[in-house]
Amino acid sequence: MTIPQSIHTGTLTTTGNVLLKVDNIALGYGEGAAEKRIVDALSFDVGLGEFISIVGPSGVGKTTLLRGLSGLLKPKVGQVVVGGHVVSGPHPDIAVVFQDYSRSLMPWMSTRENVAFPLQGRGAGKAERNKEAEAALEAVGLGGQGDKYPWEMSGGMQQRVAIARALAYNAKVLLMDEPFASVDAQTRFDLEDLVIDLREKLGVTIILVTHDVDEAIYLADKVIVIAEKPATVVDVIETGFGTHRDQVATKADPRFQDARARILTRLRHND
Amino acid sequence: MTLEMQAPTPTAVKAGRVGSKVNWGLTLQRVLALIIILALWQVAVVVGLLPSITPGVIEVFGAIGAALTMPTFWAALGQTLTAATTGWLISCVVGVTLGLLIGTIRPLDRSTSVVVEFGRAFPTIALMPVVMLMLGATMTMEVTMVVLASVWPVLVQAILGSRRLDPAIVDTVQIFRIPRALWFRRVLLPSAMPFIATGIRISASISILAAVGVEVLTQVPGLGRLITLAQEAQRWDMAFAYLFFAGLFGWGIATLLAWGEKSLLAWNRQSDD
Amino acid sequence: MKTLTNILWWLWLPVVLVILWWFASAQSTNLFVPPLQKIVESTIRDFGNGLLLTAMATSLVNLVLGLLIAILFGVIFGLIIGETRRLRLILDPFIHFFRSVPQSALVPLIIGAFGIGAEPKIYAVAFACVWPIMLNTIDGTRSVEVGVRQVSRVFGIPKMLYFRRVVLPGAMPQIVAGVRVALPIGIVVMVVSELFASNMGLGFYILNSSSTFRIPETWGGAMLVGVIGYFLVMVFSLFEKRLLSWYFKSAAR
Repeated sequence: MTIPQSIHTGTLTTTGNVLLKVDNIALGYGEGAAEKRIVDALSFDVGLGEFISIVGPSGVGKTTLLRGLSGLLKPKVGQVVVGGHVVSGPHPDIAVVFQDYSRSLMPWMSTRENVAFPLQGRGAGKAERNKEAEAALEAVGLGGQGDKYPWEMSGGMQQRVAIARALAYNAKVLLMDEPFASVDAQTRFDLEDLVIDLREKLGVTIILVTHDVDEAIYLADKVIVIAEKPATVVDVIETGFGTHRDQVATKADPRFQDARARILTRLRHND
Repeated sequence: MTLEMQAPTPTAVKAGRVGSKVNWGLTLQRVLALIIILALWQVAVVVGLLPSITPGVIEVFGAIGAALTMPTFWAALGQTLTAATTGWLISCVVGVTLGLLIGTIRPLDRSTSVVVEFGRAFPTIALMPVVMLMLGATMTMEVTMVVLASVWPVLVQAILGSRRLDPAIVDTVQIFRIPRALWFRRVLLPSAMPFIATGIRISASISILAAVGVEVLTQVPGLGRLITLAQEAQRWDMAFAYLFFAGLFGWGIATLLAWGEKSLLAWNRQSDD
Repeated sequence: MKTLTNILWWLWLPVVLVILWWFASAQSTNLFVPPLQKIVESTIRDFGNGLLLTAMATSLVNLVLGLLIAILFGVIFGLIIGETRRLRLILDPFIHFFRSVPQSALVPLIIGAFGIGAEPKIYAVAFACVWPIMLNTIDGTRSVEVGVRQVSRVFGIPKMLYFRRVVLPGAMPQIVAGVRVALPIGIVVMVVSELFASNMGLGFYILNSSSTFRIPETWGGAMLVGVIGYFLVMVFSLFEKRLLSWYFKSAAR
């Protein structure tokens, strides 16, 4: 807590340990003159082990951006580089936790099979798969529940399974698309703290996309604010909370309040 | 007031049929109903309400008993069963494979839609004389007819089933770079399975219908042939007995498949709640 | 432009298949697989001399009459059974049993009992079609909302009026769906019964040409029955959409 209160754009990461580099990308649908551009001239760096939030108003194109980062959508211009490799499609170093856990988990597979499925796709043997899946479930607090089916679980538990699946995939970067948008407030806090905890313990690099300003600040080392049409980066804010957070204390921190005010002003201004 | 008018929920009715506890009152009433139906039949025969050739209840029961001890009956049942199941299994494999391919490859889907619609609505049995000309009154011909008739429901349902693959799952599978073969087996197939199961069930009863139909119309041996022979020999009691077995056979298969579907696809019912 | 592309997408494969058939069979020396050209010629000729038109009329009249009888009995009994809970529970396994009898097995019995005229064919179609219609009607009566039932009870609506104006329209979507299921079954039974024994109708046309080795006519008749079956099913689907527009519209909301 010795980091100065002043908020300024990113200097925390040096190019030496940049894990993911978003280099001036433009994203859109359709071709040529009929193209509808959603994201334009957008750049940022993510350092190894860093937790980044991308926050923006509803409808700004956050989901499109996430599709671009994950390799599901090819940039029209620019590139996404992860660990020195240009992302040209879904990449083994990138895992995604989707917003809609109830639809991204497969109801015909048990929880363990769901978590182990990406490993099966890599050709891992059954014993290894199950071991890794169990470890991942353990990490999200669902140890021993692998035989249950997703639909036998609450929404919060299902989202934990989705997180466990992404962890088991053992990617360097975890992309999360509004992962807590469809659960109740208490569950949301629990899941937020789970993610903070996982990051602290496992050192994964996380990029979280959200429309919730509080959540963005509370979780991240660096908040990237996107706005305008097409969407681009309008502000970058270092939070400086360190790896440990607390729902009450952190949110009462003046730095939190400052960041909050600054982002909200930014977003209102850009409306 | 509300209570007596409450429409019974489907589960309440099902519980009456397959509940863990046997509902003795209902069973008794059903047995009584059966006796009444049989008695009405007997009366109708005696009074002459039904065509004169209609056998009485006792005769048909006798014939059912007699059929059970006749090797020809068991052989015929075996032949019908073999032809129907062979054709049905071929239909399932062909229908599911083609259906999943068509349903997931957009250009293929658009190109084949008219052909599939046409095949589904086409009364295949009309082709029998033609197939008969080419293949003769053989088991191959019967199986061919069964496949031509029963492949469509599986195909159509597999196409419908694969079209409904959730976009969220499509994304998930891409992100985790699931290989094509594994995707086909562990994602597409189970996701389409509730639809396919319906197709498989419909296809099973069409298989029996087609097999018996071919046997009725041609010299191909089987249950249908026995019915025709009994009719030609004026053995109406035997004809009714065979008909009874044909019904029992069809009903048994339908019940078995419905039960199998229910227990294998528990996840589907649950997640739809 | 867009619809034109769609039509091209839909039609190219059927057209290619027919053309392939045409040329692949053109040089056919197999007696049983005549050139498509000959099949088409014989069919056009028999349409011209009225042979096929009479046969079609006979078959279709049998089919329609059988279906009408099935609808009448299926709906009446379906409504009664569906509205009487006890009856429904008791009769359920019996109806399912009759529904499961392979309809084609009935044909020899019915024709044996009633002879080879038109009547037995109508009966056979009716007997085969009545079960799906009845089962669907029973299901349909159950879809009438509890609230609607209560309102009718509270206002003391007479039983007949209640059946006619509440239960019947409420069950209509299911009844029509039952007829849609029954229609192809009826077509199959019509064909089987005519192929089994007949002296008129499309089945007879096929049977007769095949036993006198006029093979192109056999093919033509078989294809024609298929095409008629296809069109009947299509026409019925259109009819269903129009008849039940209220149902689809309210369900869409």
